[in-house]
Amino acid sequence: MISTLFEIFKSNMVQIPLIQPIIDYLMQIPLINFIVALILWRPFFAVVIIPGLTVLLLYLLYIVWFERKLTARVQWRVGPLEVARPIRGAIQALADGLRYFFQEAIVHKEAHRPYFVQLPILAFIPILLPIAFIPAGNVVGIKSPYAVQLVVAFLALIPITIIAIGWASNNRFAFIGSVREALIYVSYEIPFIIAVISMIYLYGSGDPYVAVEKQSIVPGAIMNPIAFLVFIIAMLMATSRLPFEIPEADQEIAFGPFVEYSGMLFGLVMVLAYEKLYVMALLFVILFLGGWSGFYCELLGDLNAPLWLFIKTIIVISILAIVRSMYARYRIDQAVRYSFSWLIALSIVALVIGIAVGWIV
Amino acid sequence: MIEMKEFHLDIPVEPPKELESLFLPIPREYVEDTYKKDEFLVLVGPQHPGSGHMRLIVRVKGDIIQEVIPDPGYVHRCVEKIAENRLYIQNIPLVERPSIMDSANFNLGYVRAIEAAMDIEVPERAKFIRTILAELCRIGTHLYDAAILAVFIGHTTGFMYPFGIRELICESLVRMTGARFTSSFIVPGGVRRDVDEKTLRWVYDATFAIEKRLKSFERIFIKNPTVIARLRDVGVLSKEEAIKFGVVGPFLRASGVEYDTRVVEPYEAYEELTWDIVTADEGDGYARFMVRVNEVSQSLSIIRQCITSMPDGSYISEQIGEVRGNFFDKFADIVLPAGEYTTLTEAARGTLLFTIVSDGESNVPYRMRIVSPGWLYLRGFMEALKGERLADLQAIYGSFGYFPPEADR
Repeated sequence: MISTLFEIFKSNMVQIPLIQPIIDYLMQIPLINFIVALILWRPFFAVVIIPGLTVLLLYLLYIVWFERKLTARVQWRVGPLEVARPIRGAIQALADGLRYFFQEAIVHKEAHRPYFVQLPILAFIPILLPIAFIPAGNVVGIKSPYAVQLVVAFLALIPITIIAIGWASNNRFAFIGSVREALIYVSYEIPFIIAVISMIYLYGSGDPYVAVEKQSIVPGAIMNPIAFLVFIIAMLMATSRLPFEIPEADQEIAFGPFVEYSGMLFGLVMVLAYEKLYVMALLFVILFLGGWSGFYCELLGDLNAPLWLFIKTIIVISILAIVRSMYARYRIDQAVRYSFSWLIALSIVALVIGIAVGWIV
Repeated sequence: MIEMKEFHLDIPVEPPKELESLFLPIPREYVEDTYKKDEFLVLVGPQHPGSGHMRLIVRVKGDIIQEVIPDPGYVHRCVEKIAENRLYIQNIPLVERPSIMDSANFNLGYVRAIEAAMDIEVPERAKFIRTILAELCRIGTHLYDAAILAVFIGHTTGFMYPFGIRELICESLVRMTGARFTSSFIVPGGVRRDVDEKTLRWVYDATFAIEKRLKSFERIFIKNPTVIARLRDVGVLSKEEAIKFGVVGPFLRASGVEYDTRVVEPYEAYEELTWDIVTADEGDGYARFMVRVNEVSQSLSIIRQCITSMPDGSYISEQIGEVRGNFFDKFADIVLPAGEYTTLTEAARGTLLFTIVSDGESNVPYRMRIVSPGWLYLRGFMEALKGERLADLQAIYGSFGYFPPEADR
């Protein structure tokens, strides 16, 4: 049994010339070789290492720090500094996470206890599932010609968990927050899906491999700039970033659906939006910025593609972080009105462009 | 617009139990009536990030605010009562406390009431120094309120910039008086110390530095389309409404009423300076904000005029004499003649009324009355909220710059 599994893992391992001698050495040791083979098994590597869980956690550490630092720079401040001074407070998010971990997670009397506790954890499923379908070169969890559509479908599940969180909290502000989440969800989802469909028309397929191949000369952002714009705005709305930080508006409804959470559970729900942003940015890079294509380094071998995908994603998210210090928050009716008027109009224009360009290319 | 039809479902609704234990200042029938009408009560505050130190009982129908009942008093510190047990001179630091940003104006209002009672003639130089202090505090308060408005509508950069700019105000006050605010610098008859030429020069230069930094604040916040979208046509008070509900200060001027105590009943050096009353006609949140933004530039101009035309002479009235070193000898035994003395001052947030009642024989006030601007425009603030969306509550709150410690005293 174990030897069969070992053979399966061994036959499909990630080839990284840089660390090949170390792997060769480790593969001679019994038991360790099984673990090494598992880790380097392409599907496992894609889901758990890169672009999956491990770099997701690294990304969370980075983005929370970077966003705060960038905002501080804009606002004539210093930002997080005291935790690990030599690296400019870079592990601030880790310190916060540890604090959340040891804090008491209060479940109040009015809450629907089972749902209240399990929903923040359940919310991870629609976030982790798309990662299994997002390929990075030949490092891929589940290879599917419908990967783009699947990722969009899984992303659509996240707001449902947030609405359920608000319902389970049984609080006035949580209730208002989940209603707002539902409204913002219907307002960004349609333009977002139309923008994605326009790119699928453009590439003629929902397969990320085809999409990346078609972008070898011109990136999708130039082929269909309107869809690019719609996708960015939809991404801001979907991850409740300013100016669309409406469901969580802390001054109005005190973090909306998450108002009753504390301790580790709050830590989990707080990073939900960041994780959603990560998945959406991965999709964004694949559709518009040439995916994992980039300068090829011999030494890194198979690691090239995931690394490029990750770097591009991080750059996109880092650029998006600036909006937090630039805009005020729109009101919910304004956001819904904008998205149902010009955002949908723009996305239909994008669809026309997508069909036209797809027909030419 | 499509007319939405309302269907009444006759389902027995019970108001939540916890509302009974919250000591709401409303009758029980009101709560039951609300819950029977397909509306519900949202209690915003006092531990809410967007309420300040007060509770707002908001009756909403869907997302639309039907009525707001304020529940102030959480920071009532009995300033009026404490004042009855302190010497007149000891009350100066006390009256500054309700609004620490706006301390010089509060200080000025109280001291002018004493001066009115004792018939003290204030020398010109002291008047100019007092005017500078009052205007510095006015700018500081407006910046503080702009920052609170910004954070209420989710603009954190708009929160940090005014606080950064306000440091220059604080530094000016430090150099002139020795304290960042609540300096208790204005005393009956003049000011505590003279301010030298070098310090005045520094303050003069600081006004230009403030103006320069306000430009970047304007780029990122005042002209920001999201800010305009949030504030325009929100919480509109028409001219008639504003007068009817007794709104004061910049919020009255934002509704198109040209009323400023500094012009109507001039005090200190305001008569000798040239400046405009800033008004706006819209009466919405953005107009209320813009009036204060423009008042800041007027105040900067007033400060510059004061410094360039600063007269020579004594900083304290001859009736009082030199106060350095013998401060308590001069002031500890003040006894006002019997009577009631009232002054009106234009504080940053509006008309400020100080009344001192003296019995003519004790060295403490018989009764002191402060009517602070926050308390006066609370009604207008509550009326402006009606018919707006729940999300606008904080935007309107910020546009009024309501400061509970000032209103509660």
